Amino acid sequence: MATSPGFAGWLRTNSEHYLLVAAHRSLARRTGSPAPRDPKGLKEIFWLRIFAPVYAALPWPLRSRIMRTMPGSHRQTWAPPPRPQGPAV
Amino acid sequence: MPRKTVIIGGGAAGLGSAGGVKAADPGADVVVYTEYEDVAYSPCGIPYVHGGEIPDFERLFLAGKQAYVDAGIDVRYETTVTAIDTAAHTVTVEGEGTVRYDQLIVATGWNYADPGVSGGDLEGLYYVKNIRKAMEWDKVIGETKRAVVVEAGPLGLEMVTALAHRGVETHLIDPNPYALAMMADPDIMAPVEDSWRELGVHLHFNTTLEEFVGEGGRVRAVRTSTGELPADLVVISTHKTPNNALAEAAGIKVGSTGGLIVDERMKTSAPDVWAAGDAVEIPHGLTRTPLQGLTGSHAYAQGKTAGTNAGGGERAYRAVYVPWGTPAGKWVIGGASFGEATATALGIPYVLGVAEGISRARYYPGVQKIKVKLLAEPGSLRLIGAQMIGGGEGIKERADFLAQAIRFGMTFHDLSTMENVYSPAIGALNEPIVVAATNGLAEAKKKG
Repeated sequence: MATSPGFAGWLRTNSEHYLLVAAHRSLARRTGSPAPRDPKGLKEIFWLRIFAPVYAALPWPLRSRIMRTMPGSHRQTWAPPPRPQGPAV
Repeated sequence: MPRKTVIIGGGAAGLGSAGGVKAADPGADVVVYTEYEDVAYSPCGIPYVHGGEIPDFERLFLAGKQAYVDAGIDVRYETTVTAIDTAAHTVTVEGEGTVRYDQLIVATGWNYADPGVSGGDLEGLYYVKNIRKAMEWDKVIGETKRAVVVEAGPLGLEMVTALAHRGVETHLIDPNPYALAMMADPDIMAPVEDSWRELGVHLHFNTTLEEFVGEGGRVRAVRTSTGELPADLVVISTHKTPNNALAEAAGIKVGSTGGLIVDERMKTSAPDVWAAGDAVEIPHGLTRTPLQGLTGSHAYAQGKTAGTNAGGGERAYRAVYVPWGTPAGKWVIGGASFGEATATALGIPYVLGVAEGISRARYYPGVQKIKVKLLAEPGSLRLIGAQMIGGGEGIKERADFLAQAIRFGMTFHDLSTMENVYSPAIGALNEPIVVAATNGLAEAKKKG
Protein backbone atom coordinates (compact mmCIF):
# COMPACT_ATOMS: atom_id res chain seq x y z
CA MET A 1 0.00 0.00 0.00
CA ALA A 2 1.62 3.25 -1.11
CA THR A 3 1.45 6.10 1.35
CA SER A 4 3.38 8.76 -0.56
CA PRO A 5 2.45 12.32 0.39
CA GLY A 6 0.76 12.88 -2.97
CA PHE A 7 -0.86 16.29 -3.35
CA ALA A 8 0.33 17.49 0.07
CA GLY A 9 3.92 16.56 -0.83
CA TRP A 10 3.66 18.22 -4.21
CA LEU A 11 2.22 21.39 -2.65
CA ARG A 12 4.80 21.45 0.12
CA THR A 13 7.77 20.92 -2.23
CA ASN A 14 6.72 23.57 -4.72
CA SER A 15 5.41 26.15 -2.27
CA GLU A 16 8.51 25.85 -0.06
CA HIS A 17 10.81 26.34 -3.02
CA TYR A 18 9.01 29.16 -4.77
CA LEU A 19 8.07 31.09 -1.62
CA LEU A 20 11.76 31.10 -0.77
CA VAL A 21 12.63 32.37 -4.26
CA ALA A 22 10.02 35.11 -3.81
CA ALA A 23 11.54 35.94 -0.40
CA HIS A 24 15.00 36.23 -1.97
CA ARG A 25 13.58 38.70 -4.48
CA SER A 26 11.86 40.67 -1.73
CA LEU A 27 15.10 40.81 0.31
CA ALA A 28 17.02 41.86 -2.79
CA ARG A 29 14.63 44.78 -3.31
CA ARG A 30 14.80 45.82 0.36
CA THR A 31 18.48 45.26 1.12
CA GLY A 32 20.29 45.14 -2.23
CA SER A 33 21.28 41.50 -1.76
CA PRO A 34 21.71 39.29 -4.86
CA ALA A 35 18.41 38.67 -6.63
CA PRO A 36 17.23 35.38 -8.11
CA ARG A 37 16.96 35.10 -11.85
CA ASP A 38 13.67 36.02 -13.52
CA PRO A 39 11.08 33.24 -13.80
CA LYS A 40 11.13 31.17 -16.98
CA GLY A 41 8.34 28.96 -18.28
CA LEU A 42 4.73 28.58 -17.24
CA LYS A 43 5.45 26.63 -14.05
CA GLU A 44 7.76 29.26 -12.58
CA ILE A 45 5.50 32.08 -13.71
CA PHE A 46 2.50 30.43 -11.99
CA TRP A 47 4.27 29.85 -8.68
CA LEU A 48 6.09 33.19 -8.56
CA ARG A 49 3.60 35.55 -10.17
CA ILE A 50 0.31 34.01 -8.98
CA PHE A 51 0.78 31.63 -6.06
CA ALA A 52 3.35 33.64 -4.07
CA PRO A 53 1.42 36.98 -4.18
CA VAL A 54 -1.87 35.22 -3.30
CA TYR A 55 -0.16 33.43 -0.38
CA ALA A 56 1.35 36.74 0.79
CA ALA A 57 -2.06 38.40 0.72
CA LEU A 58 -3.63 35.86 3.06
CA PRO A 59 -3.52 36.63 6.79
CA TRP A 60 -1.11 34.48 8.81
CA PRO A 61 -3.82 32.71 10.87
CA LEU A 62 -5.46 31.48 7.65
CA ARG A 63 -2.15 30.41 6.12
CA SER A 64 -1.22 28.63 9.34
CA ARG A 65 -4.59 26.87 9.46
CA ILE A 66 -4.19 25.63 5.87
CA MET A 67 -0.68 24.34 6.60
CA ARG A 68 -1.90 22.54 9.70
CA THR A 69 -4.56 20.69 7.72
CA MET A 70 -1.83 18.93 5.73
CA PRO A 71 -1.04 15.37 6.85
CA GLY A 72 2.02 15.18 9.06
CA SER A 73 3.67 14.69 12.42
CA HIS A 74 2.27 18.02 13.63
CA ARG A 75 -1.19 16.40 13.78
CA GLN A 76 0.03 13.77 16.25
CA THR A 77 0.44 14.21 20.01
CA TRP A 78 3.17 16.71 20.91
CA ALA A 79 3.66 18.54 24.17
CA PRO A 80 2.71 22.24 24.00
CA PRO A 81 5.55 24.79 24.12
CA PRO A 82 6.92 25.36 27.61
CA ARG A 83 5.47 28.23 29.62
CA PRO A 84 7.37 30.50 32.01
CA GLN A 85 7.13 29.26 35.58
CA GLY A 86 7.30 31.00 38.94
CA PRO A 87 10.43 31.47 41.06
CA ALA A 88 12.50 28.33 41.70
CA VAL A 89 12.89 29.08 45.39
CA MET B 1 11.77 -14.84 26.78
CA PRO B 2 13.41 -11.47 25.99
CA ARG B 3 11.59 -9.07 23.71
CA LYS B 4 13.21 -8.67 20.33
CA THR B 5 13.74 -5.22 18.87
CA VAL B 6 14.86 -4.96 15.27
CA ILE B 7 16.44 -1.68 14.17
CA ILE B 8 16.91 -0.88 10.48
CA GLY B 9 19.82 1.53 10.07
CA GLY B 10 23.17 1.93 11.81
CA GLY B 11 23.54 5.71 11.83
CA ALA B 12 23.07 8.10 14.73
CA ALA B 13 19.33 7.38 14.97
CA GLY B 14 19.75 3.61 14.74
CA LEU B 15 22.50 3.36 17.34
CA GLY B 16 20.81 5.93 19.58
CA SER B 17 17.75 3.68 19.39
CA ALA B 18 19.77 0.59 20.26
CA GLY B 19 21.16 2.33 23.35
CA GLY B 20 17.69 3.55 24.28
CA VAL B 21 16.22 0.05 24.12
CA LYS B 22 19.05 -1.39 26.23
CA ALA B 23 18.74 1.40 28.81
CA ALA B 24 15.01 0.75 29.20
CA ASP B 25 15.22 -3.03 29.01
CA PRO B 26 18.74 -4.40 29.55
CA GLY B 27 17.55 -7.93 28.81
CA ALA B 28 16.10 -7.03 25.42
CA ASP B 29 17.33 -8.77 22.32
CA VAL B 30 18.48 -5.92 20.02
CA VAL B 31 19.49 -6.48 16.40
CA VAL B 32 20.68 -3.63 14.17
CA TYR B 33 20.78 -4.15 10.41
CA THR B 34 23.03 -1.89 8.37
CA GLU B 35 23.91 -2.05 4.68
CA TYR B 36 27.32 -0.58 5.42
CA GLU B 37 30.62 -2.01 6.61
CA ASP B 38 30.70 0.15 9.74
CA VAL B 39 28.54 1.86 12.31
CA ALA B 40 29.29 4.51 14.87
CA TYR B 41 31.39 6.89 12.86
CA SER B 42 30.79 10.54 12.20
CA PRO B 43 29.94 11.04 8.51
CA CYS B 44 29.75 14.77 9.25
CA GLY B 45 33.52 14.68 9.83
CA ILE B 46 34.34 13.41 6.33
CA PRO B 47 34.71 16.86 4.68
CA TYR B 48 37.18 17.86 7.39
CA VAL B 49 39.42 14.88 6.63
CA HIS B 50 39.23 15.78 2.92
CA GLY B 51 40.17 19.35 3.84
CA GLY B 52 43.12 18.27 5.98
CA GLU B 53 41.81 19.65 9.26
CA ILE B 54 41.49 16.08 10.60
CA PRO B 55 44.54 13.94 9.78
CA ASP B 56 42.83 10.60 9.10
CA PHE B 57 39.48 8.84 8.80
CA GLU B 58 40.14 6.53 11.75
CA ARG B 59 39.49 9.42 14.12
CA LEU B 60 35.88 9.60 12.93
CA PHE B 61 35.05 6.24 14.48
CA LEU B 62 33.38 6.73 17.84
CA ALA B 63 33.56 3.13 19.02
CA GLY B 64 34.94 -0.17 17.76
CA LYS B 65 32.70 -3.06 16.74
CA GLN B 66 33.52 -4.86 19.99
CA ALA B 67 31.86 -2.04 21.99
CA TYR B 68 28.48 -3.07 20.59
CA VAL B 69 29.14 -6.75 21.20
CA ASP B 70 30.01 -5.85 24.82
CA ALA B 71 26.80 -3.81 25.12
CA GLY B 72 24.73 -6.75 23.95
CA ILE B 73 23.76 -5.07 20.67
CA ASP B 74 23.90 -7.44 17.70
CA VAL B 75 24.95 -5.38 14.68
CA ARG B 76 24.59 -7.20 11.35
CA TYR B 77 26.90 -5.42 8.89
CA GLU B 78 26.41 -5.28 5.11
CA THR B 79 22.96 -6.78 5.54
CA THR B 80 19.95 -5.43 3.70
CA VAL B 81 16.37 -5.48 4.93
CA THR B 82 14.17 -5.82 1.85
CA ALA B 83 10.65 -5.75 3.30
CA ILE B 84 8.59 -5.01 6.40
CA ASP B 85 5.33 -6.76 7.23
CA THR B 86 3.78 -4.76 10.05
CA ALA B 87 0.79 -7.11 10.39
CA ALA B 88 2.96 -10.21 10.81
CA HIS B 89 5.60 -8.32 12.84
CA THR B 90 8.38 -9.52 10.52
CA VAL B 91 11.10 -8.13 8.31
CA THR B 92 12.68 -9.87 5.35
CA VAL B 93 16.46 -9.86 5.49
CA GLU B 94 18.81 -10.79 2.66
CA GLY B 95 20.61 -13.98 3.66
CA GLU B 96 18.43 -14.53 6.74
CA GLY B 97 14.91 -14.78 5.38
CA THR B 98 11.96 -13.78 7.51
CA VAL B 99 12.85 -12.37 10.94
CA ARG B 100 10.22 -11.77 13.60
CA TYR B 101 10.25 -8.67 15.84
CA ASP B 102 8.32 -7.52 18.86
CA GLN B 103 9.27 -3.91 18.22
CA LEU B 104 10.68 -2.36 15.06
CA ILE B 105 12.58 0.91 14.78
CA VAL B 106 12.99 2.45 11.33
CA ALA B 107 16.15 4.56 11.14
CA THR B 108 16.84 4.31 7.44
CA GLY B 109 18.22 7.84 7.13
CA TRP B 110 18.45 9.85 3.95
CA ASN B 111 19.59 9.93 0.37
CA TYR B 112 20.73 12.81 -1.79
CA ALA B 113 17.95 14.12 -4.01
CA ASP B 114 18.39 12.88 -7.55
CA PRO B 115 20.07 15.69 -9.54
CA GLY B 116 17.59 14.74 -12.29
CA VAL B 117 19.90 15.25 -15.27
CA SER B 118 21.56 12.88 -17.72
CA GLY B 119 25.02 11.50 -17.03
CA GLY B 120 24.22 10.46 -13.47
CA ASP B 121 25.83 7.07 -14.02
CA LEU B 122 29.26 8.42 -14.96
CA GLU B 123 32.34 7.76 -12.85
CA GLY B 124 33.69 10.75 -10.99
CA LEU B 125 30.44 11.78 -9.27
CA TYR B 126 31.02 11.82 -5.52
CA TYR B 127 28.14 11.59 -3.04
CA VAL B 128 29.75 12.18 0.37
CA LYS B 129 28.27 9.74 2.86
CA ASN B 130 30.03 6.41 3.36
CA ILE B 131 33.37 6.46 5.17
CA ARG B 132 34.93 3.54 3.26
CA LYS B 133 34.11 5.20 -0.05
CA ALA B 134 35.36 8.52 1.34
CA MET B 135 38.74 6.90 1.98
CA GLU B 136 38.92 5.97 -1.72
CA TRP B 137 37.62 9.36 -2.85
CA ASP B 138 40.26 11.08 -0.76
CA LYS B 139 42.92 9.58 -3.05
CA VAL B 140 40.95 10.84 -6.07
CA ILE B 141 40.83 14.34 -4.59
CA GLY B 142 44.60 14.19 -4.24
CA GLU B 143 44.88 13.82 -8.03
CA THR B 144 42.05 16.21 -8.95
CA LYS B 145 42.83 19.46 -10.74
CA ARG B 146 39.28 20.84 -11.21
CA ALA B 147 36.16 20.03 -9.27
CA VAL B 148 32.56 21.20 -9.44
CA VAL B 149 30.37 21.17 -6.33
CA VAL B 150 26.68 20.93 -7.16
CA GLU B 151 24.52 23.00 -4.79
CA ALA B 152 25.52 25.09 -1.80
CA GLY B 153 23.74 23.19 0.93
CA PRO B 154 25.39 22.50 4.30
CA LEU B 155 27.58 19.70 2.93
CA GLY B 156 28.37 21.67 -0.21
CA LEU B 157 29.70 24.50 1.96
CA GLU B 158 32.04 22.15 3.77
CA MET B 159 33.21 20.44 0.59
CA VAL B 160 33.89 23.73 -1.22
CA THR B 161 36.14 24.80 1.63
CA ALA B 162 37.77 21.35 1.84
CA LEU B 163 38.57 21.18 -1.87
CA ALA B 164 39.94 24.73 -1.86
CA HIS B 165 42.14 23.82 1.11
CA ARG B 166 43.46 20.87 -0.91
CA GLY B 167 44.46 23.22 -3.73
CA VAL B 168 41.80 21.97 -6.16
CA GLU B 169 40.36 24.53 -8.60
CA THR B 170 36.83 24.50 -7.26
CA HIS B 171 33.64 25.70 -8.90
CA LEU B 172 30.37 25.91 -6.99
CA ILE B 173 27.09 25.94 -8.91
CA ASP B 174 23.77 26.68 -7.26
CA PRO B 175 20.36 27.68 -8.63
CA ASN B 176 19.87 30.26 -5.86
CA PRO B 177 21.29 33.80 -5.80
CA TYR B 178 23.64 33.05 -2.88
CA ALA B 179 24.97 30.13 -0.84
CA LEU B 180 22.90 28.20 1.70
CA ALA B 181 19.92 30.22 0.52
CA MET B 182 17.40 27.68 1.81
CA MET B 183 18.21 28.60 5.42
CA ALA B 184 20.68 31.49 5.73
CA ASP B 185 20.33 35.18 4.97
CA PRO B 186 22.31 36.88 2.21
CA ASP B 187 24.13 39.30 4.53
CA ILE B 188 25.31 36.36 6.64
CA MET B 189 26.60 34.53 3.57
CA ALA B 190 28.28 37.49 1.78
CA PRO B 191 31.48 37.37 3.90
CA VAL B 192 31.61 33.58 3.44
CA GLU B 193 31.44 33.99 -0.33
CA ASP B 194 34.17 36.65 -0.19
CA SER B 195 36.39 34.29 1.77
CA TRP B 196 35.86 31.54 -0.80
CA ARG B 197 36.87 33.94 -3.55
CA GLU B 198 40.03 34.71 -1.56
CA LEU B 199 40.69 30.95 -1.56
CA GLY B 200 40.31 30.95 -5.36
CA VAL B 201 36.85 29.35 -5.49
CA HIS B 202 34.70 30.21 -8.53
CA LEU B 203 31.08 30.86 -7.57
CA HIS B 204 28.27 30.39 -10.08
CA PHE B 205 24.93 31.42 -8.53
CA ASN B 206 21.57 31.52 -10.31
CA THR B 207 23.06 28.63 -12.26
CA THR B 208 21.19 25.40 -12.91
CA LEU B 209 22.73 21.99 -13.50
CA GLU B 210 21.77 20.63 -16.95
CA GLU B 211 23.98 17.60 -17.61
CA PHE B 212 27.01 15.64 -16.48
CA VAL B 213 29.12 15.40 -19.62
CA GLY B 214 31.20 12.24 -19.96
CA GLU B 215 33.96 10.72 -22.02
CA GLY B 216 34.78 7.01 -21.88
CA GLY B 217 32.34 6.53 -19.01
CA ARG B 218 33.93 9.20 -16.85
CA VAL B 219 32.76 12.75 -16.17
CA ARG B 220 34.76 15.43 -17.97
CA ALA B 221 32.51 18.45 -17.53
CA VAL B 222 29.30 19.81 -16.08
CA ARG B 223 26.90 21.58 -18.41
CA THR B 224 24.99 24.38 -16.70
CA SER B 225 22.53 27.10 -17.63
CA THR B 226 25.46 29.52 -17.84
CA GLY B 227 27.95 27.34 -19.72
CA GLU B 228 30.10 24.24 -19.49
CA LEU B 229 32.60 23.72 -16.67
CA PRO B 230 35.36 21.15 -17.18
CA ALA B 231 35.74 18.85 -14.16
CA ASP B 232 37.73 15.79 -13.08
CA LEU B 233 35.48 15.40 -10.04
CA VAL B 234 31.90 16.42 -9.26
CA VAL B 235 30.68 16.55 -5.66
CA ILE B 236 26.91 16.24 -5.45
CA SER B 237 25.37 17.92 -2.44
CA THR B 238 21.74 18.13 -3.40
CA HIS B 239 19.32 18.29 -0.47
CA LYS B 240 18.64 15.35 1.83
CA THR B 241 15.52 13.30 1.10
CA PRO B 242 14.18 10.68 3.51
CA ASN B 243 15.09 7.11 2.63
CA ASN B 244 11.62 5.75 3.20
CA ALA B 245 10.89 3.37 0.34
CA LEU B 246 10.87 0.35 2.68
CA ALA B 247 8.55 1.96 5.23
CA GLU B 248 6.26 3.40 2.56
CA ALA B 249 5.96 0.00 0.89
CA ALA B 250 4.90 -1.39 4.28
CA GLY B 251 2.10 1.17 4.48
CA ILE B 252 3.61 3.34 7.22
CA LYS B 253 2.22 6.84 6.81
CA VAL B 254 4.37 9.69 5.52
CA GLY B 255 3.77 13.43 5.81
CA SER B 256 4.03 16.27 3.32
CA THR B 257 7.84 16.38 3.66
CA GLY B 258 8.14 12.72 2.72
CA GLY B 259 9.27 11.95 6.29
CA LEU B 260 7.48 9.32 8.35
CA ILE B 261 4.72 10.69 10.56
CA VAL B 262 5.58 10.23 14.25
CA ASP B 263 4.29 11.49 17.57
CA GLU B 264 6.35 12.77 20.50
CA ARG B 265 7.22 9.17 21.45
CA MET B 266 8.53 8.64 17.89
CA LYS B 267 5.73 6.16 17.27
CA THR B 268 4.65 5.70 13.64
CA SER B 269 1.21 4.86 12.28
CA ALA B 270 1.97 1.11 12.43
CA PRO B 271 1.63 -0.98 15.59
CA ASP B 272 4.91 -1.53 17.48
CA VAL B 273 6.87 0.48 14.91
CA TRP B 274 8.91 3.50 15.90
CA ALA B 275 11.10 5.71 13.71
CA ALA B 276 13.84 8.31 14.15
CA GLY B 277 16.36 10.51 12.35
CA ASP B 278 16.23 11.73 8.79
CA ALA B 279 13.50 9.21 7.96
CA VAL B 280 10.95 11.17 10.03
CA GLU B 281 9.46 14.65 10.14
CA ILE B 282 9.21 16.72 13.33
CA PRO B 283 7.05 19.80 13.94
CA HIS B 284 8.72 23.20 14.23
CA GLY B 285 8.22 24.62 17.71
CA LEU B 286 6.75 27.95 16.57
CA THR B 287 4.73 27.21 13.45
CA ARG B 288 4.16 23.49 14.09
CA THR B 289 4.81 22.86 10.39
CA PRO B 290 6.79 19.64 10.02
CA LEU B 291 10.49 19.67 9.14
CA GLN B 292 12.61 16.85 7.74
CA GLY B 293 16.38 16.54 7.40
CA LEU B 294 17.72 17.94 10.67
CA THR B 295 21.14 17.30 12.24
CA GLY B 296 22.99 14.32 13.68
CA SER B 297 22.29 15.49 17.23
CA HIS B 298 18.56 15.57 16.44
CA ALA B 299 18.77 12.07 14.96
CA TYR B 300 20.59 10.68 17.98
CA ALA B 301 18.15 12.22 20.48
CA GLN B 302 15.18 10.98 18.46
CA GLY B 303 16.76 7.52 18.38
CA LYS B 304 17.15 7.54 22.17
CA THR B 305 13.48 8.45 22.46
CA ALA B 306 12.31 5.79 20.01
CA GLY B 307 14.51 3.15 21.66
CA THR B 308 13.44 4.00 25.20
CA ASN B 309 9.77 3.76 24.27
CA ALA B 310 10.24 0.63 22.19
CA GLY B 311 12.01 -0.88 25.21
CA GLY B 312 9.00 -0.23 27.42
CA GLY B 313 10.23 3.03 28.97
CA GLU B 314 8.79 6.54 28.76
CA ARG B 315 10.51 9.34 26.91
CA ALA B 316 9.16 12.24 24.88
CA TYR B 317 10.82 14.22 22.12
CA ARG B 318 9.84 17.85 21.60
CA ALA B 319 9.04 20.11 18.68
CA VAL B 320 12.25 21.63 17.34
CA TYR B 321 13.73 25.14 17.17
CA VAL B 322 16.71 23.95 15.13
CA PRO B 323 19.94 25.50 16.39
CA TRP B 324 22.52 25.13 13.61
CA GLY B 325 26.06 26.13 12.82
CA THR B 326 28.90 25.27 10.49
CA PRO B 327 32.30 26.52 9.41
CA ALA B 328 32.11 28.10 5.95
CA GLY B 329 35.16 29.55 4.23
CA LYS B 330 37.14 31.35 6.93
CA TRP B 331 33.99 32.01 8.98
CA VAL B 332 31.61 30.15 11.22
CA ILE B 333 27.91 30.76 10.69
CA GLY B 334 24.93 29.69 12.73
CA GLY B 335 21.47 30.46 13.94
CA ALA B 336 18.22 29.13 15.28
CA SER B 337 14.67 28.91 13.96
CA PHE B 338 13.94 31.62 11.37
CA GLY B 339 16.17 34.00 9.46
CA GLU B 340 14.93 36.90 7.37
CA ALA B 341 14.69 34.80 4.21
CA THR B 342 12.71 31.94 5.77
CA ALA B 343 10.44 34.26 7.78
CA THR B 344 9.75 36.33 4.66
CA ALA B 345 9.01 33.16 2.67
CA LEU B 346 6.42 32.04 5.19
CA GLY B 347 5.03 35.57 5.45
CA ILE B 348 5.86 35.91 9.13
CA PRO B 349 6.32 39.58 10.12
CA TYR B 350 9.33 40.47 12.26
CA VAL B 351 11.29 43.25 13.91
CA LEU B 352 15.03 43.05 13.41
CA GLY B 353 17.79 43.69 15.94
CA VAL B 354 21.34 43.62 14.57
CA ALA B 355 24.70 44.17 16.23
CA GLU B 356 28.35 43.64 15.50
CA GLY B 357 30.46 42.77 18.49
CA ILE B 358 33.56 40.92 19.54
CA SER B 359 34.23 37.50 21.03
CA ARG B 360 36.59 38.57 23.82
CA ALA B 361 38.15 41.79 25.13
CA ARG B 362 39.22 44.00 22.23
CA TYR B 363 42.85 44.03 23.44
CA TYR B 364 43.11 40.28 23.98
CA PRO B 365 44.97 38.30 21.26
CA GLY B 366 42.70 36.29 19.02
CA VAL B 367 39.68 38.55 19.40
CA GLN B 368 37.14 37.89 16.63
CA LYS B 369 34.24 39.88 15.20
CA ILE B 370 30.71 38.54 15.56
CA LYS B 371 27.56 39.71 13.83
CA VAL B 372 24.27 38.79 15.51
CA LYS B 373 20.82 39.24 13.95
CA LEU B 374 17.74 38.66 16.03
CA LEU B 375 14.17 38.47 14.72
CA ALA B 376 11.22 39.09 17.00
CA GLU B 377 7.46 39.06 16.63
CA PRO B 378 6.14 42.65 16.32
CA GLY B 379 4.20 43.75 19.38
CA SER B 380 5.21 41.06 21.88
CA LEU B 381 8.85 41.26 20.71
CA ARG B 382 9.16 37.54 21.38
CA LEU B 383 12.23 36.09 19.71
CA ILE B 384 11.42 33.99 16.62
CA GLY B 385 14.83 33.56 15.04
CA ALA B 386 18.51 34.40 14.94
CA GLN B 387 21.47 34.24 12.59
CA MET B 388 25.15 34.89 13.24
CA ILE B 389 28.54 35.00 11.62
CA GLY B 390 31.89 35.20 13.32
CA GLY B 391 35.40 33.84 13.52
CA GLY B 392 34.15 30.79 15.35
CA GLU B 393 34.23 31.57 19.04
CA GLY B 394 30.88 31.17 20.68
CA ILE B 395 28.74 30.77 17.56
CA LYS B 396 27.64 27.26 18.51
CA GLU B 397 26.95 28.18 22.13
CA ARG B 398 24.97 31.27 21.13
CA ALA B 399 22.93 29.24 18.61
CA ASP B 400 22.12 26.65 21.30
CA PHE B 401 21.20 29.39 23.78
CA LEU B 402 19.09 31.35 21.31
CA ALA B 403 17.14 28.21 20.35
CA GLN B 404 16.26 27.80 24.02
CA ALA B 405 15.45 31.50 24.31
CA ILE B 406 12.99 31.11 21.42
CA ARG B 407 11.57 27.95 22.94
CA PHE B 408 10.90 29.64 26.26
CA GLY B 409 9.41 32.74 24.69
CA MET B 410 12.13 35.27 25.60
CA THR B 411 11.70 38.77 24.26
CA PHE B 412 13.99 41.59 23.15
CA HIS B 413 13.33 43.05 26.63
CA ASP B 414 14.61 39.86 28.29
CA LEU B 415 17.70 39.61 26.11
CA SER B 416 18.59 43.30 26.31
CA THR B 417 18.84 42.97 30.09
CA MET B 418 20.63 39.61 30.00
CA GLU B 419 23.73 39.23 32.17
CA ASN B 420 26.89 37.98 30.49
CA VAL B 421 30.29 36.63 31.44
CA TYR B 422 33.07 39.17 31.21
CA SER B 423 36.63 37.89 31.27
CA PRO B 424 39.10 39.35 28.77
CA ALA B 425 40.28 36.02 27.36
CA ILE B 426 36.82 34.52 26.83
CA GLY B 427 34.20 37.27 26.75
CA ALA B 428 33.78 40.94 25.94
CA LEU B 429 32.20 43.58 28.14
CA ASN B 430 29.24 43.86 25.77
CA GLU B 431 27.61 40.60 24.73
CA PRO B 432 26.57 40.94 21.05
CA ILE B 433 23.19 39.30 21.77
CA VAL B 434 22.43 42.02 24.34
CA VAL B 435 23.42 44.77 21.93
CA ALA B 436 21.35 43.22 19.11
CA ALA B 437 18.29 42.94 21.36
CA THR B 438 18.75 46.54 22.53
CA ASN B 439 18.99 47.68 18.92
CA GLY B 440 15.88 45.61 18.21
CA LEU B 441 13.99 47.49 20.92
CA ALA B 442 15.02 50.79 19.36
CA GLU B 443 13.93 49.52 15.94
CA ALA B 444 10.54 48.42 17.32
CA LYS B 445 10.07 51.82 18.96
CA LYS B 446 10.94 53.58 15.69
CA LYS B 447 8.31 51.51 13.87
CA GLY B 448 5.79 52.45 16.52
